[in-house]
Amino acid sequence: MTRLVEVPAQFDDRSFDQFAAAYAQATADGERLLFDAHAAEWASPYGLVGLLAAGEAAGRRAGGGGGTGERPLLTVPANAEVVSYWARAGFFREAAGLFEVHGKVPKTKPATESEVLLPVTPVRAAEDVHVVVSTIQQRASAILAKELGLDPKATMGFAMALSEACQNIVEHAGSGGWVAVQAYNWRRKLARRVVVIAVADAGVGFRHSLEPSQAKRFGDRWGDAAALEAALIQGVSRFRDPGRGQGLAGIRRYLARWEGKVAIRSGTARIAIVPRWDDDVPLRDSLPAFPGSQVLLIIPEQGSAQA
Amino acid sequence: MIQHIKVHEVLQQSVAGFYADLVTRPTGRAVRESIERALPAGTIAVMDFTGVGCLDYSCADEIVAKLLREKVRVLLLRGTSDAHRDAIEPVLLGHGLAAVCERPDGTLHVIGAREPAAALLDELVAQQVAARTPGGAIALTAA
Repeated sequence: MTRLVEVPAQFDDRSFDQFAAAYAQATADGERLLFDAHAAEWASPYGLVGLLAAGEAAGRRAGGGGGTGERPLLTVPANAEVVSYWARAGFFREAAGLFEVHGKVPKTKPATESEVLLPVTPVRAAEDVHVVVSTIQQRASAILAKELGLDPKATMGFAMALSEACQNIVEHAGSGGWVAVQAYNWRRKLARRVVVIAVADAGVGFRHSLEPSQAKRFGDRWGDAAALEAALIQGVSRFRDPGRGQGLAGIRRYLARWEGKVAIRSGTARIAIVPRWDDDVPLRDSLPAFPGSQVLLIIPEQGSAQA
Repeated sequence: MIQHIKVHEVLQQSVAGFYADLVTRPTGRAVRESIERALPAGTIAVMDFTGVGCLDYSCADEIVAKLLREKVRVLLLRGTSDAHRDAIEPVLLGHGLAAVCERPDGTLHVIGAREPAAALLDELVAQQVAARTPGGAIALTAA
């Protein structure tokens, strides 16, 4: 028996909980999973890296005790333009190792077009973070300055935020993950250009990472939401060293300066620092469980961040 | 005697691969350990960031904060960009530390925690490493 996990037609951070609910339900009995993306019309970087995290988690389950031992299945989008875009965004290059892919995938290199600032890129070690930071500085500075109106000096801060977001995977996930950066028109609230950084892993998540050092302090409140609050708002780290925990605080400072948004989903909770142009919920708990952590950073075109 | 550290050169020597960016803790640790081997304890050191691209918080903590906490008495930062200082200052504040920054015109100012900052420039002047300029600023007497 194969269990179906439907990929939302518009797959981004807003529809991710729908995807997570389908994933949680399908994984209940250990059967092989089929991720069905045939009806997908669009996926944000967050959707693409989140789908890879789901594939990795499903593959790990299948390989574990009582699992089927088979990789999960993935049906590619039926729309040729969509599948072409996913290919150019580097998705299928990574998906090939995680899924048994069904459907025609165009043989194309990840894009050098301006919208894909960083194709879907694996992050497994510190060296990968160096590659990500180096690549993004070469490709993003013109976009950030000309299209988003950021001060050219902001490029370095952007690279720093990206570095810290990726390092969360290396240091805390206990597994690898993926990062993708794209620029596009964000019609939902702003009708302006944005740059979006999405980072996802299928690792242990914030609660597990912080539990040894923080659970006692929070007592009965301890859970995924409390762990996210501790990490993003209070800047706590699982390490006792006082220099730790600066990364997320630095990301917050950078985004505050450029009216950006940060949202982190881990386990059954999601926390967001919501700028005035957005109407997201700051903290949500009791969401469908999903493995690892998924980080979203959005930087809007400057001078346009009106609610 | 002032010890001079060219961070970009140390980075090239310490880490495999041609990197201009000081990012990740392992990189920061490797660079710091290279610096520590060549640096006597309790010294005044000039750390030159010329040629360094991105500096993240992890590296700022591993290199600047830990050197200040464990190895050097006064750390003078040269060739830093706004972005470098954006990474260094919160890290220093988190540790209650301060470092001296050299502006492009050679004058000095202090970044980081207020309490140690007040004494830093005085110490450089007392050691005759720095002196007041006619304009009232403080600059190094010898580079």
